[in-house]
Amino acid sequence: ASTEGTLICLLLVALLVSHMLLTKEGVTSLPICPKGSVSCQLSLEELFDRAVKLSHYIHFLSSEIFNEFDERYAQGRGFIAKAVNSCHTASLTTPEDKEQAQQIHHEDLLNLILGVLRSWNDPLIHLASEVQRIKEAPETILWKAVEIEEQNKRLLEGMEKIVGRVHSGVVENDIYTPWDGLPSLQLADEDSRLFAFYNLLHCLRRDSHKIDNYLKVLKCRLIHDNNC
Amino acid sequence: MDLRHLLFTLALICANDSLSASDDILQRPQISKCRSPEMETFSCFWTAGNFYNLTVPRILQLLYKKSNEEDWKECPDYITSGQNSCYFNASYTSVWTPYCVQLASKKEVYDKKCFSVDEIVLPDPPVHLNWTLLNTSQTGIHGDIQVRWDPPPTADVRKGWITLEYELQYKEVNETKWNELKPRLSTMAPLYSLKTARDYEIRIRSRQRTSEKFGEFSEILYVSFSQIGIGCDHCTEEVEFPWFLVVVFGVCGLAVTVISIMLSKQPRLKMLIFPPVPVPKIKGIDPDLLKKGKLDEVNSILACHDSYKAQLYCDDLWVEFIELDIEDPEEKNRASDTDRLLSEDDLKSHSCLGTKDDDSGRASCCEPDIPETDFSASDTCDATSDSDQFKKATEKEEDLLCLERQDNDESLPDLASTDPQHQHRNTESENSSVWAPFEDSVESPHLSVHTQISNQNSLTSTDFYAQVSDITPAGRVVLSPGQKSKLGRAQREGCTEQNFTMDNTYFCEADVKKCIAVTSQEENEPRVQEQGYNEDGYFTTESLTTTVANLGAPTAAAPSSEMPVADYTSIHIVQSPQGLVLNATALPVPDKEFNVSCGYVSTDQLNKIMP
Repeated sequence: ASTEGTLICLLLVALLVSHMLLTKEGVTSLPICPKGSVSCQLSLEELFDRAVKLSHYIHFLSSEIFNEFDERYAQGRGFIAKAVNSCHTASLTTPEDKEQAQQIHHEDLLNLILGVLRSWNDPLIHLASEVQRIKEAPETILWKAVEIEEQNKRLLEGMEKIVGRVHSGVVENDIYTPWDGLPSLQLADEDSRLFAFYNLLHCLRRDSHKIDNYLKVLKCRLIHDNNC
Repeated sequence: MDLRHLLFTLALICANDSLSASDDILQRPQISKCRSPEMETFSCFWTAGNFYNLTVPRILQLLYKKSNEEDWKECPDYITSGQNSCYFNASYTSVWTPYCVQLASKKEVYDKKCFSVDEIVLPDPPVHLNWTLLNTSQTGIHGDIQVRWDPPPTADVRKGWITLEYELQYKEVNETKWNELKPRLSTMAPLYSLKTARDYEIRIRSRQRTSEKFGEFSEILYVSFSQIGIGCDHCTEEVEFPWFLVVVFGVCGLAVTVISIMLSKQPRLKMLIFPPVPVPKIKGIDPDLLKKGKLDEVNSILACHDSYKAQLYCDDLWVEFIELDIEDPEEKNRASDTDRLLSEDDLKSHSCLGTKDDDSGRASCCEPDIPETDFSASDTCDATSDSDQFKKATEKEEDLLCLERQDNDESLPDLASTDPQHQHRNTESENSSVWAPFEDSVESPHLSVHTQISNQNSLTSTDFYAQVSDITPAGRVVLSPGQKSKLGRAQREGCTEQNFTMDNTYFCEADVKKCIAVTSQEENEPRVQEQGYNEDGYFTTESLTTTVANLGAPTAAAPSSEMPVADYTSIHIVQSPQGLVLNATALPVPDKEFNVSCGYVSTDQLNKIMP
C-alpha cells in the first residue's frame, strides 16, 4: 500500500509540474474581466493588443480563403483580369498611404475602422450562408467563412470598447456603407455567381489588410509613441 | 582534296552561324515582376525580349492606370530602379488601389498586369547582423550564440506601417544544406549547441507578416568561435551515444531480470509478471478425474452440472441412461433413491444426502432435484449448487421445454424444434432426484434433452428422473414433478406450433403448471415463489414468470380445474438455437379436456391450474 501511495503521489506531482510548465510557455493568458464588473478594466494597451491579434487573424483567414477559392474555382476563368473591381466600401475615404495614415486624427481613423467593420457585418453573414450553396465547396472554405464572420463580430465589439475609451466626445455611428451584393451571390449562372464570390473575397482580403494596418499604426502611435 | 575540305568546313561554319542565329527564339517583351519593398513605393521590371532588330531602337513604354481612371499614363521614372524598370514613388502609390500596368510600344501591347500594392510587398533584407556568445558547454565542445539584426531600413516598422517576419538560416561552412528556424517577429534569435570547433554561416530574410513570399537574403554572417578564443583544439572527437553498449547491456539486464523472476520463489511476483495461462477447466470437476479417465464419475458430475456444454459427456450419459432404462433392477434402485429423496420434507436444507463439498464436483451440484446419473453412487448433490453456472449458461431466451410425456420405454431423445414450451410443474411434493440431463438449448440447437420420468402415475417406480420443464435464467433447472399421482396430475398436451413470444419462449397452456420457487437461492425470485411452495426442487424460471407477465393474460383460457400435466414432451423439431417444437401428442387424459392451443398463461391462471 505504501508503494501505491508513493506512486500516486509521484503521479500527482508530475501532473502538477507539467501543468505549471505548460501554462508558463507560449500561452499568454489574457486577464479575464467578468462581465458586468465595474472595477475590472482592461488597459487600453491590452485592448489594442487583442484588437490587433483579432485583425491579424481575420486578415490571415481572408487571405487563405481567397487563395483557396482562387485555386479551386477561379483558375482558367480569367477572373483576375476582371478584378479591377470596386468594393462596396470604396465610398469610404480611407487613408491610402502612409502619409495619409500619419496625418489622420486617431479618432477619425477609429471611426473609419468601425465603419468598415460595420459595413462588412452584413456581407459576411451572407457569405457564410451562401458559400454553402456552392457545389462541392471544400470544408476549409466553409468553416473559414463562418470563422471570419464570428471574429469580425468580436473585433467590432472590441473596437467599440476602444472607441468608448479613446473618444472624448460623442461616438459617431454614421460611417457605414450598405451592401447590395446579395443577389449577385445567388445568380443562377454559375460563372457569374463564382465571379461575385471572387470579388467579394478579394475585397474582404483587401479590407481586412487595411484594418489590420490601421490598427497597428494606431497601436504604435497611441501606445508605443511611434516606437514599436 | 584540300579544296573540298575547305568548302566543307566553310559550309559547316555557315550552317553553324545560321543555326545559332535562329536559336534565338523570338521573345516578347514582358513584365517580369512588380515589387514594393515597404508598401510606400513600388517598381515594375520587364525584359526587353528580342523582337526587333538590334538596329532599330525599341521604344517600350510602361503605361499604368489606377482602377478608377480611364487613361493610361506613362511611367514617371524609368531610371531609379535601373534599366528596364519603372519606379513609382510615394506620391504615385496608393496602397489598396488596384493598378494595371502594360508594356507597350507605339504599335502594340506586349504585356499587361493588374495588382494592388499590398499584394506585391517584398521587403528588403535585414541589415547589421551580429552575434554574441551566450554560453558554452562544460566540455567546451558546444556553444550557444545569440544573433541580432536590424530590420531593413526602408521598412517603417517603428510606426507600425509594415510588420515584418524574419527567417534565419544557418549551416556549417562546408555543408550544403541550410537549417531553417521558424519565422519570428523579433529581431534576435538564439542558436543552441553549435560546435565550437566548426565555423558557421548565417543569413536572414524577411517578409510581410501576412504574405507568403520572402524577400531577398541578407548578407551572410560568419560565426567562428576561434576568433573569440574559445575554440576547442582537441574537440574533433565526437562523443556519440554508445548505442551498441546500451543495447548489449539492456538485453543482458533484461535477460537477468526475467531469469531471476522465473526462478524466484516469490509466487506473487511471478504471478504478476508471468500470469499463469488458464488451462481448460470445468468448474467443479477435479481435473485429476479427467486425467485418470474416470468417465463415470465425470459423467455423474456433469449430470449434476448445470451447464451442459460437453455434448460428449451428455451423449455418454444418454447411452448410459438408455441402458439403465431397460434394466429393471436399476430402476428399482433408482426408485429407492427417489423415494428417499421425495420423502424429505425439508427442502430448504440444501444438504444433499451425506455429501460433502469436495472438488470432485459431484457434491457441488447442489440442487436436490437434480438427478444423479450414477446409480451406484449414493451421494447426491450438495444443496449449494452452482446456480451461477446456470445463470451463465442460460440466456434470456432459453428454451423451456415442454417436454411431452413419454412412456418409459421411449427413452430416445428427440431433437426438438425451436419451440420451447414451458411446463410449470407443481413440484411441491416431489423432491425427487431425477436425472435430467439436458443440454443448454440456447447453446446448441441440438437438444438431446430428454428427461423421462418413468410412469408418472406410479410414484415409486418411475421416478428415476424428472422431466426438465425449463431452465431458469438464473441457471436453475425446473423440473416437472415426476409423480403427479399425488396431486392428480393429468397429462397435458404439448404445444403444436404456437405463438411465439418475442423471447422465443412460450407456454404450453396445457402444460402450464406452476413451478415451485426455490427458496435457498437468492437469485431466483419468481413470482411463483409467492405461492408458498417452499420446495426446493423445482423452480420457476424468472423468464417464465416475466414472460408470462409480459404476455399478459394468456389468450387461451386455462382449464379451470387442474389439468394434467405431461411430464415431458418429445421434441419434435429443433428449429433454431432458440427453440424447440415439441410434439403435441395427445396424452391420455383421464377426465379433462384440453385446450389445444398453446396460449400464454399468467401466473394467476397458473395458480388456478395448480392444485
